[in-house]
Amino acid sequence: MQKQPFLVPEGYFESFADRLHQRIQEEDSSRVPVRRIGTTTRWLAMAAAVLAAALITTSIIRLSSSKSEGFYPDMAILEQMQVLDDDRFLYELLEAETVEMDDEEAFASQAIEYLAINDVEMDLIFE
Amino acid sequence: MPEWDDRDIIEGFRVQGREELAFNQLVAKYQERLYWHVRKIVIDHDDADDVLQNTMVKVWRSLADFRSESGLYTWLYRIATNEALSFLKQKKKKAFAPWVDVESQMSESLEADPWFNGDEIQLKLQQAILKLPEKQRIVFNMKYFDQLKYEDMSEILGTSVGALKASYHHAVKKIESMLDED
Repeated sequence: MQKQPFLVPEGYFESFADRLHQRIQEEDSSRVPVRRIGTTTRWLAMAAAVLAAALITTSIIRLSSSKSEGFYPDMAILEQMQVLDDDRFLYELLEAETVEMDDEEAFASQAIEYLAINDVEMDLIFE
Repeated sequence: MPEWDDRDIIEGFRVQGREELAFNQLVAKYQERLYWHVRKIVIDHDDADDVLQNTMVKVWRSLADFRSESGLYTWLYRIATNEALSFLKQKKKKAFAPWVDVESQMSESLEADPWFNGDEIQLKLQQAILKLPEKQRIVFNMKYFDQLKYEDMSEILGTSVGALKASYHHAVKKIESMLDED
């Protein structure tokens, strides 16, 4: 690992775990307790969720098939649905970079990606 | 006490009564690496501390559901990267003057930052890195400073090795040209 040009206050890492536990305890104590639900209610909720998922999927398939000639759904939309909410910033990051690239950069990226896929040792090229 | 390996941490967390012990091991093992990764994205120490805490709280709440197929280390990096990006996005939204670039502010604040101890060249390097597009900045930091493998970076960032090499290549070229201008 390269030398970091940043500093931390003295004892920061030594005290981090204690501060973290304190925060978790505080958050836990201020949380509203989760109400336990009965088996019947749970089954009803699961059935409702399955129905909602089926309706959403059908709507997307209809929507995408109305845009394109074929019957197949737009894979990009389906893929996006599978992306965890937690990863949305990474996906935004990847999309943003494509927009920021000019033609020359985009061409270079494609060329480098092609070489990488074909197992050309990239580190030798970059040196 | 010897450092636990990742499998012991994950299995330990699944045993009732050992969750806290396993989590403490995880924090002790990864806090510094994750901190430096986050710090290079958000620059300010207090911001990095907030992001690291958010990351660890998220890990505590979701470690039980962690799928062992992906490495613990790359999973943690992924959460930390997302938290750092989310933090920057919120910071941009809350900016008093929305036309002022947050990265430029971070770059300017480096010069007066008591927790930055780099020499003039390191300062210029950090300021050049802050001018890169966000993805190139993260890729450059992970490769140059953290010396991560492209394969691990690919798993963390969810992008191909080829695209990462391209990003790193562009970042290096841009930094070289920015440093040559000075």
